[in-house]
Amino acid sequence: MDGHAKWKLLAEKEASRLHRDFNGLYKDTPEKITIKPLYTAEDISSNKLTDTLPGSPPYIRGPRATMYVGRPWTIRQYAGFSTAQESNAFYRRNLAAGQKGLSVAFDLATHRGYDSDNPRVEGDVGKAGVAVDTVEDMKVLFDQIPLDKMSVSMTMNGAVIPIMAFYIVAAEEQGIAPEALTGTIQNDILKEYLCRNTYIYPPKPSMRIISDIIAYCSKNMPRFNTISISGYHMGEAGASCVQQVAFTIADGIEYIRAAMNAGLAIDDFAPRLSFFFGIGMDFFMNIAMLRAARYLWSETVKEFGAENPRSMALRTHCQTSGWSLTEQDPYNNIIRTTIECMAAALGGTQSMHTNSFDEALGLPTDFSARIARNTQIVVQEESEICRTVDPLAGSYYVESLTSEITEKARELIDEIEKHGGMAKAIEAGIPNRMIDQSAAAQQALIDEGERVIVGVNKYRPEKEEHVNVLEIDNVKVCREQVAMLKKIKGERDAAAVETALEELRDAARKGENLLESAIKAARVRASLGEISDALEDIFGRYIQKTSCVTGVISHVFDQNEAAHKDFENVLAKVDEFEKVHGRRPRVLIAKMGQDGHDRGAKVIASAYADLGFDVDLSPMFSTPEEIARLAVENDVHVVGASSLAAGHKTLIPELVTRLAEMGRHDIQVVAGGVIPPQDYDFLFEHGVKAVFGPGTPMLESALKTLDVIEAED
Amino acid sequence: MLYPVEYYVDGIRSGNRAVIARTMTLLESLLESHRKLAAQVFEKIVPLAGNSIRVGITGTPGAGKSTLINSLGMYLIEQGHRVAVLAVDPSSTHSGGSILGDKTRMPDLCSREEAFIRPSPSSGILGGVSPGTRELIMICEAAGYDVILVETVGVGQSETAVVDMVDFFLLVLIAGAGDDLQGIKKGILEDADAIVINKADGDNIQAALRAQTVYGGVISFKRPRIQGWSPEVMTCSALQRTGLGDLWEVVLKHNNWLLESGKMKRLRGEQYARWTAQLSRERLIKEIFKINNIKKYMDLLEQEVADGGITPLAASAKLTEKVMSNLRKEK
Repeated sequence: MDGHAKWKLLAEKEASRLHRDFNGLYKDTPEKITIKPLYTAEDISSNKLTDTLPGSPPYIRGPRATMYVGRPWTIRQYAGFSTAQESNAFYRRNLAAGQKGLSVAFDLATHRGYDSDNPRVEGDVGKAGVAVDTVEDMKVLFDQIPLDKMSVSMTMNGAVIPIMAFYIVAAEEQGIAPEALTGTIQNDILKEYLCRNTYIYPPKPSMRIISDIIAYCSKNMPRFNTISISGYHMGEAGASCVQQVAFTIADGIEYIRAAMNAGLAIDDFAPRLSFFFGIGMDFFMNIAMLRAARYLWSETVKEFGAENPRSMALRTHCQTSGWSLTEQDPYNNIIRTTIECMAAALGGTQSMHTNSFDEALGLPTDFSARIARNTQIVVQEESEICRTVDPLAGSYYVESLTSEITEKARELIDEIEKHGGMAKAIEAGIPNRMIDQSAAAQQALIDEGERVIVGVNKYRPEKEEHVNVLEIDNVKVCREQVAMLKKIKGERDAAAVETALEELRDAARKGENLLESAIKAARVRASLGEISDALEDIFGRYIQKTSCVTGVISHVFDQNEAAHKDFENVLAKVDEFEKVHGRRPRVLIAKMGQDGHDRGAKVIASAYADLGFDVDLSPMFSTPEEIARLAVENDVHVVGASSLAAGHKTLIPELVTRLAEMGRHDIQVVAGGVIPPQDYDFLFEHGVKAVFGPGTPMLESALKTLDVIEAED
Repeated sequence: MLYPVEYYVDGIRSGNRAVIARTMTLLESLLESHRKLAAQVFEKIVPLAGNSIRVGITGTPGAGKSTLINSLGMYLIEQGHRVAVLAVDPSSTHSGGSILGDKTRMPDLCSREEAFIRPSPSSGILGGVSPGTRELIMICEAAGYDVILVETVGVGQSETAVVDMVDFFLLVLIAGAGDDLQGIKKGILEDADAIVINKADGDNIQAALRAQTVYGGVISFKRPRIQGWSPEVMTCSALQRTGLGDLWEVVLKHNNWLLESGKMKRLRGEQYARWTAQLSRERLIKEIFKINNIKKYMDLLEQEVADGGITPLAASAKLTEKVMSNLRKEK
């Protein structure tokens, strides 16, 4: 009898002693990979990829030969809030405390190309990032931070042209030439259309903007990463590891094509392409994901004719998953983040952001930010995992996973290619739908308890701890920004600004480099909104339709008898409601402000529809007034306002007021998303009837919503 | 909560958005009490209705129907019109709930004071048009909306229903998709008073112009919906908002022609006649099955058919005989 057969006999015996079915020891993952209870040498015997070395293609084991033994990954915490002045102070405190690189978060108004004085962005200024209106803000942001020494990562995709221009001019006025600048601009627009939604223009001109930036930087900023191809947001939107790798590489393929079509040679820009992945809780799967991604990228770039090995090396930043954080029992998030941090390190990331434990509740405080940063420092400097390169190489399990992810992702990439590449596939809604389905299915697994989340669906604490989160005085920030903008506009040479903007429009029309023109506009103090508007005059503003999958959630619940019963129970209540009221409960799921995170809204819309509600979706980026009008026109029973970007205290009370003004104070308002518990009372006082934090089971929220409606009648 | 009839009538007359919406809800309701009240309101507002241009809009999936409605609506508002959009959204799940995502595709229009957009769930209704769509049209008219756009959803049954409630039926297509005629039911081409090839922008203009020629050829051999009108084929770009003026010119031309030739009166008259017939049929059937012994007999027959004791044909004959004998007894 061979070894494996012998093991199987033993395992079956043990399983039956434990009253388990042997076949039940095989587990299916959202990646559609079946995990075996045991991996052996046999599993990797035919795997040719296990015998490679770090530092050269195909780079499975890491992009550098010495990896962390030479120099550990860069601790790069993503942060930004309120005004440039406040963020600058925060950065300098962190750098003093051991952080190595900067990573700037801009507020949503900036992302979407609006100045702080635009009435559409009232609730968003300075909230989920720092507000930047002109080059003056950028100068304050980097005050006393030498831009030739400090590598700066900027998360910007929509308004990349003005932000890059401001950054270059701010450096120029610090006396630093573009050649000396190091850092990264995210500049990954495709995933914005796919899941993050902070785009401004339609896909075509947006792709051109990217080529322009790549062209400008490969000429003038050789040390700057021109793009950070991001899977992170897909992971946050609910993509599985296979989907994350596949769609990210497929995006990369599209960018290579765009740059080559613009006349650049692959080896001139490919070394400056970088990546960004999100790391979730499935420990080994996420490690294997990074290894698989490096292999696939190296293979891909080679196929484009690259000869420089550095073109083929995938360098990545990683962030621990925000989706895995819970509002309930929030200190558990520290442990989750530690595990994810370990996975990113063992997967071989080049830099990392670890989330603060309170990010499911609100914005991090100095205290929680310190724990997050220290998580990395402890792993890096105390755990001794940096002693050797790629320590998990050769593990039967990890190597098998690596090759399975590679294969499955390659199939998906091929499918995308068949549709004409990622841009076309996104337009046809193909990857979007796949991610939505994955998101809905994963949420359903959590809700029915199949996937354990400690403190949420198992081991719930009797009493919730009170956690303080950072409070941003949004009104004050907005007032300061608007005053500053007014002052700058009053002092600048208005004619020079108009000339520069007209030149920019002209460059947009004629296909000349947009960044070059925008730099000139930035120098004469044109604002971010003005530069964005000038481009919008030529390109138009993009409108995305929101669609939503149905049937996925009911399908998952059908798989499990107890869960199915709970589901049917809610359905029956909804049917009863229809009999009494003459129609189904009708709910408007609303996204207000510039917050484009819509996974939660879509999953909840999907669940409510499966549960028999009539669900209206609002356009994204609506104002409270527009939502009120929609609710009144559609005569819904209740509005569910989804908020993940800290705008809730401004936008939701205003919605309640507007509804009353339109004579419909009887239309109820409930809220969901990332809302700090200490704000609940504030919202209740302002007429909100229920607040659903992250991790609220879908059935529970549906029942509660039904109660809220019935209570009114 | 229900209000007196005057509340609804006055609200509609003064264009109160909330009241218009509430009346629509009553019309869509499954409750007898709601519909009775709605019917009383309806009687009062009918004299105020009828003075709009009713346009049905259909198209292949992906043709950009909603974007076109958004752009056309904005164009019409600029021309001084007030525009109502009625859309039936049928993404029902097996549980009967639905997702109404239409407004996400009309973000400009839905923030305008001069527009009213009402997506209606079609849960359980065959044909994709909710039962009250005709009534909703008239409510909008009474409230002062002078252009009513009725959007059909999907391809299939709902077109036929929409054709029968509008003055002008517009088919939206794009060049190249599904290789032209495939995917479009033949009848829909015949029903169309005009075809517009959308997405005529950028690299796509040439293809759109070619499609215009192809459809122009095809449509010239079809019998028009209303005798004497020759359907036109146009191009437009909803995204860049070009070609919308020409499109509306055609609608106006058609409308004037209907009015001047007296055909409008006949068209709407025939539509109302069919509406009466349809309503009566539905009502009668509903009432008949409320009669206790009929319902019981029906259950019995269904069971017999299921058991194989009797054929469906024989069963329905028996049921009809029973109903008729009931009626004769009544006499």
